[in-house]
Amino acid sequence: MLFVLGEGLSGLLKSRLSGLMAVITIAVSSILIGIFLIITANLSYLVENLRGRVELEVFLDDSFNEEKIETLSTQIRAIHGVQTLTFISKETAVLAYRDLFKEQKDDYFDALGYNPLPASFRVTLKESYRTSTGADSVFNSISSLADINEDDVVYRREFLVLMERYIRIAITIDFLVGSIVCLSALLLVSNNIRLIIISKRRAIETMKLVGATRFLIRMPLYIQGTLQGLIGGLLATVFLYGLLKLSAIEIAGLISVNWQIYILLITLGVLLGVTGSFSAIRRYL
Amino acid sequence: MVKICKASLKYASGDGLDRISLEVRSGEFVYLVGPTGAGKSSVLKMIYMDALPSEGYVTVGGYDSRDISDNEIPFVRRKIGIVFQDFKLLEDRDVFENVAFALRVTGARRKDIKRKTLRALGEVSLPHKSRKMPHELSGGEQQRVAIARAIVNDPFILLADEPTGNLDPKTTIQIMNILDRLSTRGTAILMATHNYELVNSSVKRVVSIKNGTTLN
Ligand SMILES: Nc1ncnc2c1ncn2[C@@H]1O[C@H](COP(=O)(O)OP(=O)(O)OP(=O)(O)O)[C@@H](O)[C@H]1O
Ligand SMILES: [Mg+2]
Repeated sequence: MLFVLGEGLSGLLKSRLSGLMAVITIAVSSILIGIFLIITANLSYLVENLRGRVELEVFLDDSFNEEKIETLSTQIRAIHGVQTLTFISKETAVLAYRDLFKEQKDDYFDALGYNPLPASFRVTLKESYRTSTGADSVFNSISSLADINEDDVVYRREFLVLMERYIRIAITIDFLVGSIVCLSALLLVSNNIRLIIISKRRAIETMKLVGATRFLIRMPLYIQGTLQGLIGGLLATVFLYGLLKLSAIEIAGLISVNWQIYILLITLGVLLGVTGSFSAIRRYL
Repeated sequence: MVKICKASLKYASGDGLDRISLEVRSGEFVYLVGPTGAGKSSVLKMIYMDALPSEGYVTVGGYDSRDISDNEIPFVRRKIGIVFQDFKLLEDRDVFENVAFALRVTGARRKDIKRKTLRALGEVSLPHKSRKMPHELSGGEQQRVAIARAIVNDPFILLADEPTGNLDPKTTIQIMNILDRLSTRGTAILMATHNYELVNSSVKRVVSIKNGTTLN
């Protein structure tokens, strides 16, 4: 066992240039992937935030009495996907309107002499219903209630659909860039191990002749690949940490990363190292 | 010990071995002679199970070519010592480490490694060069290191493929003396060579091979 570790370590030290290349590639790939992950994390955070603000407005006819409003609100609350329901009376609506247009000098309502704004329900959605299909189903359920007209239920459908399209595009780009970066890192690691196998050809031949098991021949190469991955992942972590520390001053509040991402980066590096050496060993040994 | 029975070997080129039979008993010294391309190295390869026969069988110390698994082959090799014309020493480590390599690979204990390595180097009269690198040695000395590495695991048979092919006559005699000594101590030796002069001047058993078949 000690022998295996020693051979792995000395192999790493001896393959200086190509080993360094592999380590750097793993580090750069991990950094790129890390940056993409951070951007995606921020994006989805933002998206979740926006989704949370999606709500349906149900306008109520002025002829509805209190009792009717009470029944309707119970019915709507019972619909799948509805999280909260808030009643906005005509008076509250006016206050909100005034608040919105407070710089306007002459008051529109005073001039009008009566309150034209309808009372309404403001309905928010449960998390799993904050999608265009989810919102649609709630919309359909509400508008199919007696006394409620389809035109009286309003929500920003186009906004949801558009947002969903952009998320899909972002995830696709993430995935594409991620896989290209990973693939090139894998190729370089694998190539590095291939070079090591070639340079150790005689030693490997001798090992086989004196009765070394497959495990003993392969393990040092795996250790070497894994160490390269580990070092690459650690470098990426240090780099990214520094980068975030610096940029956090610039774009305060935007970036929110937790320590899991660093664990992920190191794991990713190790994984790249192991898979790279695995494929090289399979093909060239 | 080692038994080859009607074993055939086919290479893609069409060459190979055709129903070879050969038995080497413990402590026996056997020359395997034949012109170049006759199949001497192929016979040795079958014994250390680098090539398995397509017909017939080979048995080596309890292992049988007909039912051996890939995982067992390293363990066959540990019972066999192998020496080649080109020594096959590792250039990146010194004499001691080259010999110890065969022990480390088997997971031997540190204390045993030192003792056995020095003893093997003693057998070939090279303990004083144990910290030299291979390129600092003469051809004869390198071959002696290779022999030390081959015997360090106490094999019951030593396979030697043209071990003196690269050496001058004086050094050849030196190497032959070492092999003789090993065989009188009980290690069987199978030596492939086309040095007929060497073979004719000795009284040992000779097996001739030509076009992939044994003649006697
Ligand atoms: N791996 C191989 N693939 C294809 N053909 C091979 C292979 N090894 C040997 N041969 C062929 O098999 C025949 C026997 O080869 P082998 O090496 O056993 O002969 P040899 O008696 O050892 O010759 P030499 O004295 O030159 O070492 C030759 O014709 C050779 O070309
Ligand atoms: Mg040969």
